[in-house]
Amino acid sequence: MPPRPAPIYLDHAATTPVRGEVLEAMLPYFGAKFGNPSSTHRFGREARAAFDEARERIAECLGAHADEIVFTSGGTESDNLAILGPWRVRRGEGRDVVVTTPTEHKAVLEVAHHVAAIGGTERLLDVDAQGRVRDESLDAALDARVAVVSVMWINNETGVVQDIPAIAERARAAGAIVHTDAVQAFGKLAIDVRALPVDLLALSGHKIGGPKGIGALYVRRGTPLTPLLHGGSQDRGRRPGTENVAAAIGLAVAAERAVAEREDEWARLEAMRDALQSTILAQVPDAVVHGLGAPRAPHILNLSVPGTDSESLLMALDLAGICASGGSACQSGSVGASHVLAAMGVPRDLASGALRLSLGALTTDACIARVADVFPALVAKARRLAGAAH
Amino acid sequence: MSRGRVLVAMSGGVDSSVAAALLHADGYEVIGATMKLTCGDELQTDRPCCSLDSVNDARRVCETLGVPHYVLDLASAFSRDVVRDFAEEYARGRTPIPCVRCNTFTKFRDLARKAAALDCDHIATGHYAQVVDGTLHRGLDPAKDQSYFLWGLAREVVARLILPVGGRTKTETRAAAHALGLRVVAEKAESMDICFVPDGDHVAVVRRELGDDAPSLQRGPFVDVHGTVLGEHEGHARFTIGQRRGLPGGFREPMFVIAIDPARRAVVLGPRDALLGRGVIARGMNWLVAAPPRAGDTVLVQHRHRATPVEATVVRADADTLEVALGAPLTAIAPGQSLVCYDGTRVVGGGVIERGLATASVPRSLPILAA
Repeated sequence: MPPRPAPIYLDHAATTPVRGEVLEAMLPYFGAKFGNPSSTHRFGREARAAFDEARERIAECLGAHADEIVFTSGGTESDNLAILGPWRVRRGEGRDVVVTTPTEHKAVLEVAHHVAAIGGTERLLDVDAQGRVRDESLDAALDARVAVVSVMWINNETGVVQDIPAIAERARAAGAIVHTDAVQAFGKLAIDVRALPVDLLALSGHKIGGPKGIGALYVRRGTPLTPLLHGGSQDRGRRPGTENVAAAIGLAVAAERAVAEREDEWARLEAMRDALQSTILAQVPDAVVHGLGAPRAPHILNLSVPGTDSESLLMALDLAGICASGGSACQSGSVGASHVLAAMGVPRDLASGALRLSLGALTTDACIARVADVFPALVAKARRLAGAAH
Repeated sequence: MSRGRVLVAMSGGVDSSVAAALLHADGYEVIGATMKLTCGDELQTDRPCCSLDSVNDARRVCETLGVPHYVLDLASAFSRDVVRDFAEEYARGRTPIPCVRCNTFTKFRDLARKAAALDCDHIATGHYAQVVDGTLHRGLDPAKDQSYFLWGLAREVVARLILPVGGRTKTETRAAAHALGLRVVAEKAESMDICFVPDGDHVAVVRRELGDDAPSLQRGPFVDVHGTVLGEHEGHARFTIGQRRGLPGGFREPMFVIAIDPARRAVVLGPRDALLGRGVIARGMNWLVAAPPRAGDTVLVQHRHRATPVEATVVRADADTLEVALGAPLTAIAPGQSLVCYDGTRVVGGGVIERGLATASVPRSLPILAA
């Protein structure tokens, strides 16, 4: 068999490699600086100092106060805490409604479903063909019963950007607590909570060159919040459990680097995404790019090729060494149709063929050129594959 | 140096896992594929195959081998070609074998096409049967032989087929699993049930597919061959030819289901002798040899899984139909089961039993007719 070419990683929206400087910053805390921040002795103090500093550095990246940062295990926990935390307080005040969109990550959508299942109310906003919230739908959903409004800033499947400042402004005016899942937005958009009318904002380490298993939730001072977990008094009781010191430091370093490189990286990724998109559309003219026409983050290209399905495309790509994602991957490893595209009104046969190529640190012009080069052949193969069982 | 790319259909069980590992060890470029055959996102978790655990086991085996593993969603085609047909066959008063249709349509048509689209030179499974010089033969282990279920393959698929465990006994396969380090699957229980029929309750599948008001699930009479009503049953889909369980009692000799008449929703009962047939007509024939048998030829035929094959004379053979006269009577020839023809251990072809014949016809090409 011919030697396989080096794999091309186009799945940065799924996860990213840990940056070298992040790993280096973390290593001492797996070794000599192993202390528990809650200990009063020198080992504890050393860990505490590093952990506090990490919190300050992340706060700095967001324009927040250090005490407004809660460390979590990642985006999913941040989203859960951001919605359930305030909702549990406010449901006792006659506000039992969670408002969100049908295009959210499951870490939000399933929490809204859970709220509905335990006696609260879930309201899903209408979105347009690009997945953006319709103004009139938001207005109609906002009333005195709304506890929390949660809208994702950059969609993880399509890259479409919601107008969070405007949505948050209106939601707040209606008395809602506002959360945004900024897991994909952090490091892509300028975020300054001093000017942004949100109360909570979730981010995740491994999407920005940090380690897996760490995330943060920005919680504006004064936001009512009950913890998800019960235990010690760590993080003011908002998140008990011995702190993940090394990962918190890793998150801080990754966040700082992402913010520092943000504008240059946006331009670099956008140029490559546009090149990839235009080449694919030139070679496969019936391909449909999802979210086209809406403001989009530069690192995600989501498209469907009629006559293929995600499963077939991903297999063809994988065997050619190109690593990408389809719709929402289900537990079994088979690829289901995307709920995001369904909510955007994309027909099912097209939605079930969605392919997400997401660019990032590992992406170079050469990667893009090679993918563009082999894409038509892979589409042909995927079409044969998809046609095999119909 | 690779001996070619092979797609291995992996259920997560020991046989297909060993098949993949043996091919990998033999220098093939292995791609593991697990078919998702049930609908819905949540796969059943407590079944020996077709469950999430099975997918995970197949994936673990592929991870151990360092080969790619994919889950292929064939649920809608499987539902149409296998599950729906299964229910409809019961509604027609017949006794289907879904494994035959799964092999014919799902594994060795749909999956084989996917293998071809992935530039695979071969397709492999963990079946206990053997491919010898491009022809299909019984598995070496008579207790495990699955060739009866494989008659529906296209000949060009057999040409690409590798059955790595078909020349082994089950004990040897388990030993190979241990030797190959496949501890996850080495001692897994056998899957004996039909994968989509929970707890062996095929009536539940008929109900789900055809509805509570399906005629085959409504009350009907037990009758004897003369039409005398002997009792009442709760739906003829619950019965199969040769069945004794669930019949009314009080007869002088043991009674069996000898026929099902869906038009009258009647289940016909008779004594053991009435089950004997001396001829069989099968339809939907598929031949795995270049020169199928002709009228007057002698073949070995098998009318049930695990039944002993008997000699038979071909009465009539055309593109679709085979009629044979049996050298010795067979019991409980059930429409819907397979009639598989063998030449020694070689699978010559097969079809679906249309009906058994109480008396054998005389082959047309014999001199007595030609005269």
